[in-house]
Amino acid sequence: MKTKISIKKLQEKLPFINRAVSPKSQLPVLLNILLEAKKNNLRIASTDLEIGIEVDIDAATEEEGSVTIPARTFIDLIGSLSEEEIVLEEDRETLIIKTKKTKSVLQTIKSEEFPKLYKNKGNKIATLDAVLIKKDFSSIIFASSMDTTRPALSGVLIKKEEEGFLLVATDGYRLSLKHHKIKGSNEEETENIIVPSRVFRELLVLKEDSEEINVYTSKESSQIIFEQGKTILIGRLIEAIYPDYKKIIPTDFSSKIEFDREEMQRAVKICSIFARDSANIIKMSLSKDKIIISSHTPQTGENSVEVDAKLSGEENEIAFNARYLQDILGGVEEEDMIFEMTGPLNPGVFKIKDDNSYLHLIMPVRVQN
Amino acid sequence: MNRDLNSVWEKVIEDIRPTVSEGHYGTLLKPAVLSSIEKGVATVKTSSPIIINMLRERLVKDIEKKLEKYTGEADISVVFVPGAPMVGAKVKKRNDDGKTPLFTPESDEKKLSSPTIGHLPRVRADYTFSNFAVSGSNQLAFVSSSTVAKNPGTSYNPLFIYGPVGVGKTHLMHAIANEVYIKNPDRKIIYLTSEEFTNEVVEAIRNNDTARMKRRFRSASLLLIDDIQFVEGKEKVQEELFHTFNILIDKSAQIVLSSDRPPQEIKKLEKRLSSRFAGGLAVDIQAPDFELKTAILLIKAKKFGHELPIEVAKFLAEKAEDTRSLEGFLLRIITEATTTNSPITLEMAERAIGGMFEEKREHLHAEDIIKSVCEFYRIKSTQLKGAKRDASFVKARHITMFLLNKDLGLTLKDVGGILGGRDHTTVMHGVDKIENMVDNKTDYFGDIVGIRKLFRG
Repeated sequence: MKTKISIKKLQEKLPFINRAVSPKSQLPVLLNILLEAKKNNLRIASTDLEIGIEVDIDAATEEEGSVTIPARTFIDLIGSLSEEEIVLEEDRETLIIKTKKTKSVLQTIKSEEFPKLYKNKGNKIATLDAVLIKKDFSSIIFASSMDTTRPALSGVLIKKEEEGFLLVATDGYRLSLKHHKIKGSNEEETENIIVPSRVFRELLVLKEDSEEINVYTSKESSQIIFEQGKTILIGRLIEAIYPDYKKIIPTDFSSKIEFDREEMQRAVKICSIFARDSANIIKMSLSKDKIIISSHTPQTGENSVEVDAKLSGEENEIAFNARYLQDILGGVEEEDMIFEMTGPLNPGVFKIKDDNSYLHLIMPVRVQN
Repeated sequence: MNRDLNSVWEKVIEDIRPTVSEGHYGTLLKPAVLSSIEKGVATVKTSSPIIINMLRERLVKDIEKKLEKYTGEADISVVFVPGAPMVGAKVKKRNDDGKTPLFTPESDEKKLSSPTIGHLPRVRADYTFSNFAVSGSNQLAFVSSSTVAKNPGTSYNPLFIYGPVGVGKTHLMHAIANEVYIKNPDRKIIYLTSEEFTNEVVEAIRNNDTARMKRRFRSASLLLIDDIQFVEGKEKVQEELFHTFNILIDKSAQIVLSSDRPPQEIKKLEKRLSSRFAGGLAVDIQAPDFELKTAILLIKAKKFGHELPIEVAKFLAEKAEDTRSLEGFLLRIITEATTTNSPITLEMAERAIGGMFEEKREHLHAEDIIKSVCEFYRIKSTQLKGAKRDASFVKARHITMFLLNKDLGLTLKDVGGILGGRDHTTVMHGVDKIENMVDNKTDYFGDIVGIRKLFRG
């Protein structure tokens, strides 16, 4: 193969491609990326077997062909170049990379060794607004589990609804739920699917000009594909039964309090300093016109911060893991939030004011006093 | 069958190994699992669709050929399915079996229909009315408990359940808590033992913070206190209990108490308190009769995932005196059946249990068990009996409690005495904990088998 491409374009795309390169693998080809030159196009692909990424870049190809090269070296090399264009040319078992003033030679592995990422895209299940879906994913994704001993919890549940999709993430200690609305009504036939949260984490850092994301699933190969502009992200579906999240969502509450998210976030941040050495526990005391956030560590000291708030219902107290509070307060963008609770042992629920499409629930920490 | 598949798969991939790179072997073949072979179709589980693509492209023919060789079947075709966990994925080590406060694994992966009660503190979700065996000796207690659970606060208040050890008092109390909770998860339910109640009262007085404690108990809509007889002679605690009691009854919150004897017989109990205890309904549970013991055995065996032949159940029921020793016998037989991989039969039960009796009578002493536990975990018996709460000691201590109680048939009180004067509720907690672990097939099971081997020689 022989092709010519813009270095700037490459520099833009390679960091994302790098996210699917295995940091280490027994299989040498997984440390490589695949280059596939077609007439006006260079396709670059990477995979760590769990996810795959495929990006198309405009190119002027003289000779079509494909080859794999060591990802790390190539990415570092391109990152250090400041010229405009490079020429990639295959020469027996090497790839020669030339700019006006530099020449590098990389060892290759045959492209046949590189795994096929997908057979076909499958059925299109939705076209999503990139900005909105990424915002919604950010507001739920942190609640999913990093631990894969319970596969279902390491993923996000996507459930078809009349007006869009319901997204649910939980690690068993907290749960996020968001009704994502799409334009028009959702007529596609879709079963409930569970998608590894890692796929969404990658999707969140994907930068493309296109404002639409096409989503495809293939039941047969149990894969999900997100396509934004010229980038494709391939993930697997998790085959598991999602826990019955509905029955743990409280239907009633005895205290409801309104507060400002940023003010609360600052308060939690301050208190988490004093919670650091005592299991990260932060206490919230709800009273008529304020929430008092407090923490203490016997050997260090203690502090408390007041947050203005408006209470309806009874005064109450509850304690949470500070990290969970930081996650939810940092996960949403809206400023006016609501917190609802029934007692110090029942889950506390965070909502966004005047928006019933979102809910975040956290299991409190039981504190002895 | 499973073991066969594993060994077939191992032979298959070892045969292919020399023909592929070590990388292919390690990434594609090693993590895959042969999950079934049926009618010439072999199903192989792997972790990701991309791996399946690779296997299909380069190794499917080899795999099929080797499978034919090792199973003796002709024309095997291989189907790859995703489903195994990702290799190298982060797996947190923990021993809670994936239980989290919001969901228990059974609730979402096995019994989707049964409601989650995982986060009712201190209450065992598996103690429900549906798995409580009823017969003449406990019928009244059962009926009144379920009535209370259906209409808390309005039927019998307080409900006072009394009876000897191991007849199911705690089971009923947990069942009430669970039932009320399922119907209305927002109700404030407090379950604790009288020892814990005492501790909270003492703690509150010491910290000069009785208001909080009062608020906590007085806001309950269902308060269950187990083993109430232990408030005997504790005046301050009784006083607190008395006030809490009055307030709760006034606002018609339900109170359930259990004890080993009727209210009037609890000595050193203030008159005003004992009359209040008896003010609702006091029901007793008798030691189980033969039929009930048989029924309990069948239920428990099912819980452990084994079918118990009726004649074996009858035989065991005859031998055992209370429900706790029933469980000990049952566990013994199940262990025997799983380790020797043989079905449960009457002969086997006679052998296993007969042996147990002889050993027990002739030469098994508490010290033997303690010695074996110490040897097994490489700790000193002073550490076992001491007060240190290091994780390894606690585990060994709980297992000792379990073994002393189940294998030797010692009472909880005696076990506590042997282990450096511990309270009988502490022992009960330990025994329950291990029992729970053993159900869940953790490595505790292996430990117990190992220790039993030591003291049985």
